[in-house]
Amino acid sequence: MAKTSRGVRASRRAAWLLCAAALCACGPRDHSVIIAVAAPLTGDTGAEGQGIKRAVIMAVEEANASHRFPYKIEAKPFDDRADPKEAVNVANLIISDPRIVAVVGHYTSGCSIPAAKVYARAPIAMISPGATTPEVTLQQLSPDWIGPRVVFRDVATDDVQGAAAAQFAYNRLGKRRMALVHDKTPYGQGIAEQFQKTFEALGGKVVSFDGISVGDRDFKALLTKIKDSSDRPQGIYFGGLYTEAGLILVQMRELGLKAPFVFMSDDGAQSPVLYEVAGDAADGAYLTTIGVPVEELPSAQDFIRRYKKRWTGASQDIKPFDHFGYEAAQIVLDALAQAGVPPDREKVLAALPGVRHKGILGETVFDDKGDTQNKIVTMTRARAKDRAFPSVR
Amino acid sequence: MLTQQIVNGLALGAIYALIALGYTLVYGILAMINFAHSEVLMLGSFAALGLAAFAPAAFGTGPLALAGLFAAGMLAAGALNAFIERFAYRPLRAVSRLAPLISAIGVSIILQNAVFLWVSDQSVAFPQPIAIRQIPLFGGAQISSLQAVTLAAALILMALLHFVVEKTRIGKAMRACADDLEAAGLMGVDADVVIAATFFIGGALGGAAGVLYSMSYGSTKYNLGFLPGAKAFTAAVLGGIGNVRGAVLGGFILGFLEVLAAGYIPNGAQWRDVIAFSVLILVLLVRPSGLLGEKLAEKV
Repeated sequence: MAKTSRGVRASRRAAWLLCAAALCACGPRDHSVIIAVAAPLTGDTGAEGQGIKRAVIMAVEEANASHRFPYKIEAKPFDDRADPKEAVNVANLIISDPRIVAVVGHYTSGCSIPAAKVYARAPIAMISPGATTPEVTLQQLSPDWIGPRVVFRDVATDDVQGAAAAQFAYNRLGKRRMALVHDKTPYGQGIAEQFQKTFEALGGKVVSFDGISVGDRDFKALLTKIKDSSDRPQGIYFGGLYTEAGLILVQMRELGLKAPFVFMSDDGAQSPVLYEVAGDAADGAYLTTIGVPVEELPSAQDFIRRYKKRWTGASQDIKPFDHFGYEAAQIVLDALAQAGVPPDREKVLAALPGVRHKGILGETVFDDKGDTQNKIVTMTRARAKDRAFPSVR
Repeated sequence: MLTQQIVNGLALGAIYALIALGYTLVYGILAMINFAHSEVLMLGSFAALGLAAFAPAAFGTGPLALAGLFAAGMLAAGALNAFIERFAYRPLRAVSRLAPLISAIGVSIILQNAVFLWVSDQSVAFPQPIAIRQIPLFGGAQISSLQAVTLAAALILMALLHFVVEKTRIGKAMRACADDLEAAGLMGVDADVVIAATFFIGGALGGAAGVLYSMSYGSTKYNLGFLPGAKAFTAAVLGGIGNVRGAVLGGFILGFLEVLAAGYIPNGAQWRDVIAFSVLILVLLVRPSGLLGEKLAEKV
């Protein structure tokens, strides 16, 4: 009996809470302008999404504090859980709220591709701070595309990066035989395929091409095979993110694959967390990065300082795509400034192709596909003693 | 290369086997899959990490540090597993067989997100208290000091478990409960205590596996347990779930299968899970209760 009454009381309390929530929702409507942040806030890539969210919130707070706009701007986060199905739900939610004028997101290519189709119907502009698969913007050129072109991104695509790494390996490092490993995601596999294409065109030989599972930790079997291969590879190029890159580095060194055997990877691997995973084993790894390294730009220094001041929580340190998120928000703000008062989706979308934004990534201008023309790729080399990634000159 | 791959397979299989034991012990008594087990091993690894961070001087290097990490990981994971049993499974034990299963999934989600939110949402470096060296073996193969520690620790723990189950009073009680929970209760065995002890032992083995797993690869993460947990569960089923020897056998078989697939099939690394799980399906088609599932009547 006691149990029943407790249950009744609990459900009554829940009912009250619901009423209270309903009342709040019906309160006076504010007229602020909203920028949606669509990114994975939970799950395996939740950390990167949370970082992007913090960067956009910071950009919006700074804009409000500077009184640049005669209205209040708000950043509203949406969790797509890095799941393409959820991304479509989130996109529908976003287009149903008329106060939202633009979207910063999505983070993964897998989410960006289907979500973009929803945004085109609205239409509302999206700027992705992380989706690097060419398809994300290319799909807008297809004859089946319904609606205007709405997709923009401030990250360079995989073809640029994979090709740059291959040229570096062949021309600068003099490598002729490379083993390729990727993490079976559109990003990792795509970038490894681009590396292969360029490396083979230059005359190099790709001795093996293997996929690994994200979340797996043991790659010794694969690395033993690469080490003992009769083709004698001179290095590994890995397409994927820092966790797996770090694990490969540790186990590679453990198996005795040391210099002049090289490890090369992409901007997804270029994260301070690489040193958490790999420690000193990361030393000497060659990693490409988009644009000029953030650490070597004075404007980005300032960004890092402000970020650390604004976000002081335990796991609120800078994540690898935060500066792209911040920059995407800045570009939306630039478009808002041109859109007049009150701004709306159409005006923001119309203003975006004309935006020339000078910021922490250098100058961002979009080409007619919506890709950034800032396609500088810099090769960096991991230095374990101060956990830095200085660029290779 | 074959000897080298066998060494790799042994070290990987030993970890799978330790985790599989946790699944199989619990299943043996309650016929339930403890889906929170992968989070128990993750928290074991974080408990050891916490100890190392708390007393960095005492836990720098050497065998003492190694023992300390194991003690912290195993005690914390064992206690946590017993705690989960007390509050998430015991109240549901009499309800239905599905309710504790759902409860286990819930506990797993809660624990993983708690670590994600309050401890770290990223990979964290894990101490390696012994110097990493390559010890040459016959046939040009090498075993790394970490692999050697993994194998030795796993074998010692398995021997210890065998001793506890076969030679002690609590082991006898566990076997009795596995045979027939109700009848054991009627004979004066306190089933609640035995079940709690089983969860503690299973959790402690998981904690040890968590420490070994994160030490072997030098880092840990909030979702560390998911993949090895899923694979060890597979190993337990492969060997015959509920059967202790089956779990160990299944763990090593799975380790070898993965390593051989990745090492010998051209571009096989991406197929290693497919191959491992295909073998599982084939085995289950022929022997639905797993490799050792029928041979022994006793489940623990």
